[in-house]
Amino acid sequence: MIQLKSRLNVIDNSGALVAECIKVLRNARAANIGDEIVVAVKKARPISEKTSSSLSAAKIRKGDVRRAVIVRTRKEIRRPDGRYVRFDDNACVLLNNQQQPLGSRILGLVAAELRFKNWVKIVSLAPRVV
Amino acid sequence: MKLEICNLSGYKIYPSRGRTFVSADSKTYRFLSSKTESLFHQNKKARLLAWTPIYRRLQRKGVSEEVAKKRTRRNVKFNRAVVGASLEQINARRNEKSDIRSAARAEAVAKAKEQRKGEAAKRKAARANAPDAGKFSKQQARGSASKVSRSGR
Repeated sequence: MIQLKSRLNVIDNSGALVAECIKVLRNARAANIGDEIVVAVKKARPISEKTSSSLSAAKIRKGDVRRAVIVRTRKEIRRPDGRYVRFDDNACVLLNNQQQPLGSRILGLVAAELRFKNWVKIVSLAPRVV
Repeated sequence: MKLEICNLSGYKIYPSRGRTFVSADSKTYRFLSSKTESLFHQNKKARLLAWTPIYRRLQRKGVSEEVAKKRTRRNVKFNRAVVGASLEQINARRNEKSDIRSAARAEAVAKAKEQRKGEAAKRKAARANAPDAGKFSKQQARGSASKVSRSGR
């Protein structure tokens, strides 16, 4: 249940580390796994002049406003077999305006709900899906 | 339907019961109830919680009945020598093959027959030599009953 002001870890290699939700792109107050939100980047990896040219992914700086999709939540989610799953943190993956992931790799695991919400590219990039 | 096992207590988890927790290092833990989940997050060890099967197994609680049931004595068959036949003789006789035994038996039978024939011939010859021998009556051959004599008193 991610809402305004919620902080999420960014688990792709776009350069951002922590993002803060500023808008839930749903007609609801809170967003869950597989929902899109608008985030402001609060913490980013430092970009040096040497690496900037070699980076294939976009350069993200602190203060950038981007879209993101939630991939892990601390709030438990219900699976169709009646099981409830919850993760240890809240995490997201940054997107561009065409709903494609900004980074080229995803670090860490993602929830299997993404497959049913048609985030197929993210699921295929993820090293592990739970 | 796959039965999971609670990571803390060791109880079986049936479908749609309990919770699954995925930790930051991608390990999946299954909990039967909020009790076990809470204890896990407090870093409690199941080995020290007296109600868990893990503790009971370690402290060997409730094991004595199972052990007692299994320890029933079994009678061992023991081959013993008997007066008149030593152990080797018994084993030899037991392990004899049936055809050998029947052959031996046939041999013995034939031998006995021959012996009997020989004896019968001898007896005939004896009777022929002693002609008076056959004139005894049956009673005489049996002998008279002895008179009861007065003994002491």
